[in-house]
Amino acid sequence: MTQNEMTSNDSTEPTPTTETAASSPDPSGDPLIEQSIDVDGTDATAAETGEPVIESRDLNVFYGETQALQSINLAIPEKQVTAMIGPSGCGKSTFLRCINRMNDLIDAARVEGDLYFEGKNVYDADVDPVALRRRIGMVFQHPNPFPKSIYDNVAYGLRIQDQTENIDEKVETALKRAALWDEVKDQLDKSALDLSGGQQQRLCIARAIAVDPDVILMDEPASALDPIATSKIEDLIEELAEEFTVVIVTHNMQQAARISDKTAVFLTGGELVEFDDTDKIFENPESQRVEDYITGKFG
Amino acid sequence: MATRKPETGWHGENSDVNHLRGRAFEATCLALTAFGLVSVMLLLLFVANDAFRPLSADVGWLATYAVTVVVPLAALAVYYYRLDEPAGEVAYVASGLPVVGLLLTGGFAVLFTELLSVLEWFALLISLVAAAGLIVAHGRLRPKAALERLVVVLLAPVVTVFGLPPTRFNWLVTDAAAALGLDFGLYYRVISLREAIMLLPFVPTDWVMLLLTLVLPAAGAAGWFVEQRRESRRDGLAVVGLTTVAAVLGVVAGPLLGIGADVWLLVVTFAVLPLGVYVEGVLRRGEGVRGLAFPVVAVLGVVAGSLITGALGFAGPDPWLDWGFLTSATSRTAADAGIYPSMVGSVMMIIVIVLTAFPVGVGAAIYLEEYAPSQGLMGKFVTLIEINIGNLAGVPSVVYGLLGLALFIRVLQWPQGSIIVAGLAVGLLILPIVIISAQEAIRSVPDSFRQASYGMGATRWQTIRQVVLPEALPGILTGTILALGRAIGETAPLLMIGAAASVRLAPNSFFDVGSMMPRQIFSWSSELEPAFRHGVLAAGVITLLAVLLVMNATAIVIRNRYQRTG
Repeated sequence: MTQNEMTSNDSTEPTPTTETAASSPDPSGDPLIEQSIDVDGTDATAAETGEPVIESRDLNVFYGETQALQSINLAIPEKQVTAMIGPSGCGKSTFLRCINRMNDLIDAARVEGDLYFEGKNVYDADVDPVALRRRIGMVFQHPNPFPKSIYDNVAYGLRIQDQTENIDEKVETALKRAALWDEVKDQLDKSALDLSGGQQQRLCIARAIAVDPDVILMDEPASALDPIATSKIEDLIEELAEEFTVVIVTHNMQQAARISDKTAVFLTGGELVEFDDTDKIFENPESQRVEDYITGKFG
Repeated sequence: MATRKPETGWHGENSDVNHLRGRAFEATCLALTAFGLVSVMLLLLFVANDAFRPLSADVGWLATYAVTVVVPLAALAVYYYRLDEPAGEVAYVASGLPVVGLLLTGGFAVLFTELLSVLEWFALLISLVAAAGLIVAHGRLRPKAALERLVVVLLAPVVTVFGLPPTRFNWLVTDAAAALGLDFGLYYRVISLREAIMLLPFVPTDWVMLLLTLVLPAAGAAGWFVEQRRESRRDGLAVVGLTTVAAVLGVVAGPLLGIGADVWLLVVTFAVLPLGVYVEGVLRRGEGVRGLAFPVVAVLGVVAGSLITGALGFAGPDPWLDWGFLTSATSRTAADAGIYPSMVGSVMMIIVIVLTAFPVGVGAAIYLEEYAPSQGLMGKFVTLIEINIGNLAGVPSVVYGLLGLALFIRVLQWPQGSIIVAGLAVGLLILPIVIISAQEAIRSVPDSFRQASYGMGATRWQTIRQVVLPEALPGILTGTILALGRAIGETAPLLMIGAAASVRLAPNSFFDVGSMMPRQIFSWSSELEPAFRHGVLAAGVITLLAVLLVMNATAIVIRNRYQRTG
């Protein structure tokens, strides 16, 4: 389904706000950035009170006539791993893409309802999706490094966001945090496409965390990888949750059980059936449908 | 031992599989393909025979060259093909590089004799470098000022190359300043850096300027390439040093051998340097070294052949397409007729087309692919535009000629049949092709790259500039070069805008009346004397085809490179 979304996209953003971003790459005047700086100042209290960093209220998404998400209410806690599971076509990827407004890139997609990121509705008219995506990084299902060198891939975000001071150090730190540094430190100017699939995906994670976002969205990051590469990515995700809020979509229920703190179960029709602590979901779900899905009777 | 089941005949003639229709269809397709290929081949052979007239040579001459050149080269080719494939590749490149290099040399030599002096070239290049320096310096000093940068990017080249006109031509600026109570008049023309250089009381000699503007940049680029490849700064510097020494030595020794300094520098830049770097690389890698024998055998064969035929007194053929044909103007006698002025006209026309149709076409393609809405009423409008661009690609070329005649000659009053009018009319003709092929190239950039870039918080401009365009560029170039191949052979628009049937002197400026190769060929076709229609015409056609072949080969090389790295 993610693939369909990618290909159907005609790379056009209908919102007028993007145009202002294109003409002024300097984001400092952006309301969202100011907002997020304010919130950064109260990080500690937010974490203590367990306040959600992302919260959706009655979020509906339509692709043309089809409704992909039905009135989703979900609050994602800060600095934890939140997993979204469910059968194919249940809208979990769609929800993920609502968070950083990647659905804007699809002409046919229409979003109704509110989605708050650090207290601001990201679908407000004065929100620039470009500024939003600078706070919320994303890792895709298929590793998609740019056909550039390893170094340039990690430095890409830093360069486009004008964070060009100490760029060497930042690249090294990002690669170390993504547990890739030891494998690539001698070949930073080699093409990223020469890496193995698992290395490419860790490179994509390094690319996403290099710019130090608040949230990392992962859309089935290990589904195209072999078991060894998958376990490396899983270890990495658990480490990343110490510093970032991680939201991960996965098909693999064991994976969700292993790495996530909270789990949201979407079922066919774009409906959020249950959202709770991961242990609770897998051991004692409230809903019979969720139990059927988890035990493999359905889906 | 288990007994085998009796055969039921499922596999033989009784089976219900029927291949007959499929085989017949395959054979028909093969026959049609072969028919097309063979007819074109026959036509080309016929024309080539007229142009080169190999049968006008003595049998001994033909036999000598067959023994010294054809047989050894054929033997080598078979050897490479059967036994040593990497060597075959090396042979291919090592023979092709000097040919392309010498063609480029010829092109630049024509440029310097017809279009601009070495001094003008030098001044232009220095001014452009200065403009680029200004833009880069501004980017360093004020990295955030995007609008200001746009102004600098647009104005810097204008100021350095053209200068500023006096403000009486800019009454808009003067009046606006006067309204604000400012005396902003620029009463004299501010001359550009380019003109300032040309007015200098003393300038370096031609060969020094060429050394600075052509040889050293090329050597620097090759040196950088070698340095990257080997990770050895010493080797890179060696390339630069050796090239410079070869260039200077040639300048000193050249006159003794009758080679002009300028020509020698061009040869060093375009032929010796690339060939040297390539051969050195092959020798170092030690793979396919035997391939280097191919060009050596070819040259030795030609030298031996000419010595033998000279000694034995065999007469060579008397081709229509010879050096004289390429370097002289057309004439009333077929034997003296040449294609040189119209070749220069064609090249200048291509320059106009590249400078106009390429930016416009690529810009339009980027807009249509990356910015234009695809939904709603505007999306329908965009679809309509795209369909019509497709239709425009199919409009007969004579119609574009008519458009050029009406627009540039009748409305803008530009000289009839001038190079610029020809270039713009043919440029309009290939514009839809450039747009469509650039769109294809941009569309072929995987969407996952765009997604990754947007996901990183890149703006659309950053995504296009840093991800889409670098990936699409080889495809865009390939499409454009193929479109230029179409442009160079167009005849009908040239007839409509009144390009000269034939000219004695090559055009010196873009507003001069010129002839182009297809126009010249067309006028030869209506000459009364049969020698023109059979000989000179064929030579012209072969020249045109050779130029086309080189352009298409360039496009193919770019495409292959792109596929290998991508």
